[in-house]
Amino acid sequence: MGQKQHTKTPLPTQSSFADAELVRACRAGDVEAWRSLYDRYAPLVHRFTSALGVPVDEREDAAQDIFIAVYRSLRHFRGEAQLSTWIYRIAARHAIRLGRRRRTREAMRLMMLTEKPAILIDPSERSTQVATLDRMLAKLPPKKRTVLVLFEIEGLSAKEISDVVGCPENTVWSRLHHARSEMVKAARRMVP
Amino acid sequence: MKWLEEPKNEAERLLREGLDQAAERTGDEITHRRVWAKVSETLEAPQPRFSGRLVFAGAAVLLVAAGLIAYPHVRRLSQERAVLSGVAPKGTTNPAMPLLPKNVPGPAAGTNADAEQQTALIEAERKPGHVVSTQKGEHARVALGGGAVAELAENSAITWDKQQRPSIEKGSARLSVPHQQPGWRFSVTAGPYVVTVVGTKFDVRVVNHSVGVEVTEGVVEVWRGSHSTRLVAGDSWHGPLYPEEGQSIPASAAPAERPQALPAPAPKTTLPPSRGLPEAQAALQAGDTNKAVEILLRAAQGSGPAAENAAYELARITRYNLNRPRQAVALWDKYRTRFPAGLLRTETDLSIVETLSQLGDVGAALAEADAFLARHPASERRLDVQKLAERLRAAQAASDSR
Repeated sequence: MGQKQHTKTPLPTQSSFADAELVRACRAGDVEAWRSLYDRYAPLVHRFTSALGVPVDEREDAAQDIFIAVYRSLRHFRGEAQLSTWIYRIAARHAIRLGRRRRTREAMRLMMLTEKPAILIDPSERSTQVATLDRMLAKLPPKKRTVLVLFEIEGLSAKEISDVVGCPENTVWSRLHHARSEMVKAARRMVP
Repeated sequence: MKWLEEPKNEAERLLREGLDQAAERTGDEITHRRVWAKVSETLEAPQPRFSGRLVFAGAAVLLVAAGLIAYPHVRRLSQERAVLSGVAPKGTTNPAMPLLPKNVPGPAAGTNADAEQQTALIEAERKPGHVVSTQKGEHARVALGGGAVAELAENSAITWDKQQRPSIEKGSARLSVPHQQPGWRFSVTAGPYVVTVVGTKFDVRVVNHSVGVEVTEGVVEVWRGSHSTRLVAGDSWHGPLYPEEGQSIPASAAPAERPQALPAPAPKTTLPPSRGLPEAQAALQAGDTNKAVEILLRAAQGSGPAAENAAYELARITRYNLNRPRQAVALWDKYRTRFPAGLLRTETDLSIVETLSQLGDVGAALAEADAFLARHPASERRLDVQKLAERLRAAQAASDSR
């Protein structure tokens, strides 16, 4: 089955051994190792949070909060999962929390009848296709969206996604199936 | 096979292309540097918490262990010194330490190139505490792993720390480091400083209570704690071997431009450095721009990444919140003077180019754009700045012809 053969890893050049060494050095307080960890995972965090709907003007703060959370809780990382999986988990929780806050703010704005703030567009993301994709992704419920993004954009396997989101593999496949169907329907509505 | 790799209609094609392009959305280098500058403020080395009894017991155990460990090291050290002198120790052979020719040329016996060719490469044991040293008139080439090589001058010593990083203990060493894999950095320590590189040639000296770094090729960063300074080819840097508590890391100095003086102690700020930026951001969100400026002004007087961020943010707020572009350019320029190799240097240079261009100051913007291209040849924004420079040049030519 085509789906099951989807085994692209998020960072193919880095082995778990290299991550283990990095984690050990970071735990020992080596700032340079933290810089290496940041350099290695900053692009991943940016891509993942962008796909989970964190707006342009909140992405820097989101990345900062995620790496500070990684820094504060690295001593609890037991090395049972890959470091990337663990970072995805932290980033997903943070992005979903930010989404919840945004929805609350929006509800407050509607109640107060204040003017809608201008939507900022990242100049490096001028692609129409990405903008359209973001609009379609925004219509998916957070759980389905996370699974779809992890599988289709981040290239994680169903097993890895089940580790990130904390649900059985069958649930991952089910959410992915529904998310794909909804995305295709949304795409058809946009392109008659 | 990827989902929708063979799209049946326009909608599916659009969806597949969107997913593929979203996978390339990894952010630009400047955003990453700006976030790192903020994250690095939070980093602190974890402090182990031990009770008094544990410390006493640990010290006793360490004392015994040190005696047991030290003996073979002292023995090996004496063997290495004998090897470097061209005399094999009695009854011992060490295949990892090849014997040098008996006529190893010192500085007086031949040129450096001759010495380099004739000195065998030592594959030293890269274990914590292991030392390779040279005496008067001796030189040594030591393999540091990953293709990196250190050429030890006379009266120098190199060892390895707990993280198995090479550490220059005394004297002088020239290091050649091949280009590292993406995400990996090579580092060497000297006193309290960590010098990190991606691929380059540079000298490290530990002489007379001072640490010096001189870069021949590429770019290196010198770190102490969470403070750093960046050096490019031609730059040199000196710092005290035993810096005072709270003293900031000295900035780099191009040899021809500035004397290599030891730094003056950094001015102390009354505001905790790591709290300046969040407080200013909170004030801005509350709409109190004046309070944010006041906080940033105080934070910018300190040292380290917090002061650097505050100095940059101050200019940004002046530009975008107070709408005073000329004053913002002056503040960014001040940032460059204070932090010539700062983490936000690229962002600052770019902000100045953009602001001057928006002001219509074609000559100044063009000079800044050219300086940006010369200083940041590998920047992701190079193409944007190149295009802007072309437009500015065209505008200048049109204005000259009128």
